[in-house]
Amino acid sequence: MTRHYEAVYIFDSALEEAAINERLERFHALLARPDTDAPELSHWGKRTLAYPINRHETGYYVIAKLETSPEALPEFERAVKLDEGVLRFLIVVNEGPQPVAATADKGDGEDDE
Amino acid sequence: MRRPQKNCSICESGVRVVDFKDERTLSRFLSERGKILPSRLSGTCARHQRQLSTAIKRARVLALLPYLKGHGG
Repeated sequence: MTRHYEAVYIFDSALEEAAINERLERFHALLARPDTDAPELSHWGKRTLAYPINRHETGYYVIAKLETSPEALPEFERAVKLDEGVLRFLIVVNEGPQPVAATADKGDGEDDE
Repeated sequence: MRRPQKNCSICESGVRVVDFKDERTLSRFLSERGKILPSRLSGTCARHQRQLSTAIKRARVLALLPYLKGHGG
């Protein structure tokens, strides 16, 4: 069974765009399942952080909407945590409006109405 | 004494799920110091207040919102 997730990464803003894309590919390869689509990426780009993280004042934000099975997550989280180019990341179950296919899943437990 | 009922501004804007990435909207529900406003002051309904509180905490982790505003350090 797969679920929809939303991951936010904050990369070190000193990294090149190519280095960021290489990392994203490496992380998402860990989550890829044969029956899921490629993650939907949105690059927010460089932003000022609300408070410094590891003495960095700015970070490069990337949002990824993806679908994977929960068993893949511990390995993924370990890889992301070990990467020093990632200042911070957050992965949560996507509760926003789902694509039509998702409504067919029963017992999703995401909507309380 | 009952306090006069306020309308939930999130319901009125037609949003069903509060997005933790939308820091501009979330910051409307913070005090001057960056604390989460109680629904007593902001008028949000219980469901949206719960969603707001989770969303604001997530946004803080991602450095979109400060934990503490106006801190000189």
